[in-house]
Amino acid sequence: MASEAYITLTDVVFSRSGRRIFDGVTLDIPRGKITAIMGPSGTGKTTLLRLIGGQLKPDSGTIMVAGENVPRLRRKALYTLREKMGMLFQSGALFTDLSAFENVAFPLRVHTSLPEDMIRDIVLMKLEAVGLRGARDLMPSELSGGMTRRVALARSIALDPELIMYDEPFAGQDPIAMGVLVKLIRDLNSSMGLTSVLVSHDVPESLSICHYACIIADGHIIGEGTPAELRQHPSERVQQFLQGQPDGPVPFNYPAPDAGSDWGLTGGAR
Amino acid sequence: MMDRIAALGRLGFNVVATVGRAGYFLGGALAGVPKPAVGFPLLVRQLYSVGVLSLAIVVVSGLFIGMVLGLQGYTILSDYGSEAAVGQMIALTLVRELGPVVTALLFAGRAGSALTAEIGLMKATEQLSSMEMMGVDPLRRVIAPRLWAGFIAMPILAVIFSVVGIWGGMLVSVDWLGVFEGAFWGNMQSSVSFVDDVLNGVVKTVVFGFVCTWIAVFQGYDCVPTSAGISSATTKTVVYSSLAVLGLDFVLTAVMFGDF
Amino acid sequence: MAQRTTEIITGLFMIAGLAAVLVLALQVSGLSPKSAGDTYTLYANFNDVGGIAPRGKVAMAGVKVGSVRSVTLDKETFQARVELAIDADVDNIPADSSAVIRTSGILGDQYIDISIGGDMESLSPGDSFYSTQSAMNLERLITNFASGK
Ligand SMILES: Nc1ncnc2c1ncn2[C@@H]1O[C@H](COP(=O)(O)OP(=O)(O)O)[C@@H](O)[C@H]1O
Ligand SMILES: [Mg+2]
Repeated sequence: MASEAYITLTDVVFSRSGRRIFDGVTLDIPRGKITAIMGPSGTGKTTLLRLIGGQLKPDSGTIMVAGENVPRLRRKALYTLREKMGMLFQSGALFTDLSAFENVAFPLRVHTSLPEDMIRDIVLMKLEAVGLRGARDLMPSELSGGMTRRVALARSIALDPELIMYDEPFAGQDPIAMGVLVKLIRDLNSSMGLTSVLVSHDVPESLSICHYACIIADGHIIGEGTPAELRQHPSERVQQFLQGQPDGPVPFNYPAPDAGSDWGLTGGAR
Repeated sequence: MMDRIAALGRLGFNVVATVGRAGYFLGGALAGVPKPAVGFPLLVRQLYSVGVLSLAIVVVSGLFIGMVLGLQGYTILSDYGSEAAVGQMIALTLVRELGPVVTALLFAGRAGSALTAEIGLMKATEQLSSMEMMGVDPLRRVIAPRLWAGFIAMPILAVIFSVVGIWGGMLVSVDWLGVFEGAFWGNMQSSVSFVDDVLNGVVKTVVFGFVCTWIAVFQGYDCVPTSAGISSATTKTVVYSSLAVLGLDFVLTAVMFGDF
Repeated sequence: MAQRTTEIITGLFMIAGLAAVLVLALQVSGLSPKSAGDTYTLYANFNDVGGIAPRGKVAMAGVKVGSVRSVTLDKETFQARVELAIDADVDNIPADSSAVIRTSGILGDQYIDISIGGDMESLSPGDSFYSTQSAMNLERLITNFASGK
């Protein structure tokens, strides 16, 4: 890999409700690039982002972000580190009691003591970047799903972070909004030099904008590399996922006992 | 049999764990003094939604309860020719017991359930998570102002309840039933002590306010972030708060007014 | 709603709370700002105080003029010694007045009534009432009546 790593995960093990979600994940996310993390639903992509953000702690392993070991950070240091991170949640997660404008202004008001007119300029600039300057006075309940996510994006870049994490930004977007988002993500990365982590199961969109991609399944990374490398990847499982074939070595079903025993056929069939 | 014992053990373990989480949660919310410029508007906003918006139900309930006390008190006391004591009966009942307790029950139903649902929904829609990821601690930003607001609003609501109730009682017994007004107030004033009755009642409401709000915000924060989880958390808030208020009322009454 | 309106309404709410406390203090518990300390002390000895207790009412002609401060037992005479706090502006109680324990209504509270005497001199702070009349004890009354005394 050419550039240095901004985030480094080493042997991360994480279980939830007794189920092992990550079983020794090692991954480097390069600085200033767009990295796509792909995988079937429920493999723990969102969980991975929460681990990077320090909201969850791994059972073992280290997670280095900008040179700091996130699970070991004390509360205050963690909150300071998070000011350098932006995260776009799957649902947008706008504050429902604040207007679009106030949502974007929120991190500015909390973390800076800028005068009101400067806050206004910055907020309008960020809203303009996502094409919603005109929607500044709308409340979150008056926004469509796609608009919500764009306002949320404006909010997560309000403080000009070093790292931005997108959780399923394309899910449920119409083709135009999808195109707009793809362009936005790419522009943000190239103009501001943001390190971007993109979590998605939309293979074509993700591969079209990322510099680097990895595929997670069954708690392991089953393939990583540039989009071109991945397309040529020898592994059957990677190919199955990229091409969306229903049959193959990657199980589509949630782990379940043998079907026969659930339908009560085991005894009688013999 | 062994299963039963194991279930009991698990229940005990869960209770201890929940109490521990609730205590830790309280510590996190109340730790650190916020900047006044940031904290004050947040507190005012919450005082408005927790206190001012509960005022109507408190005033109406206080009025009716006072009027019923006046009516019942008059009927009973007039049998003994001492209907002039109705003022003292109304005032003592309201200031010592009904004011704090009924206000706390109304508060749990009106403001507590709203707090739980609001915070639970903020959790379910990832608003709390996203706040954390913005480097803002939701315990301090979301929970602390609500906790303080409940704590402050509750005693205010309770004294207003008592005053409105006494006024309602006077309306019925003096204006309608013809109890002599001088005797009404005179009896009341000679038997109600500011320190022993009024202030002890206020101490009760402070305790109730604290407990009800704590339960409400904790249930919201700790809920399972789904529709069913929020609805069960809201129910728990009302049930636990009511039980806590009634139980604590007995303990506090025994300590304050009991002779031991 | 605008932050400013919210602030004003919330301010009014807090003022209403303070006003309610004031009402409870002044109108309901009869705490009056001036009367605190403006009292003088008189004593009265009774054979039986009945239900008289601290904070009880002391009245003259039915009007409240003070309150009971304490009730103690005098170990020499085995009488109850009641300390009365009388309002300072009632400073002309005739020296031969008597303190009588009465009941308001049949089952109401007991209070101390001061029956006015005719003396030209008045009681001064620290004095004791010359004559007193103890609580009427229904039970004793009935016993006396039944035994024909
Ligand atoms: N709060 C939770 N408690 C227990 N298990 C959870 C919780 N949240 C998610 N999981 C489990 O973790 C796994 C990964 O979830 P997630 O990271 O949301 O998947 P993805 O984002 O890849 O779809 C899922 O299988 C889910 O069952
Ligand atoms: Mg997800």
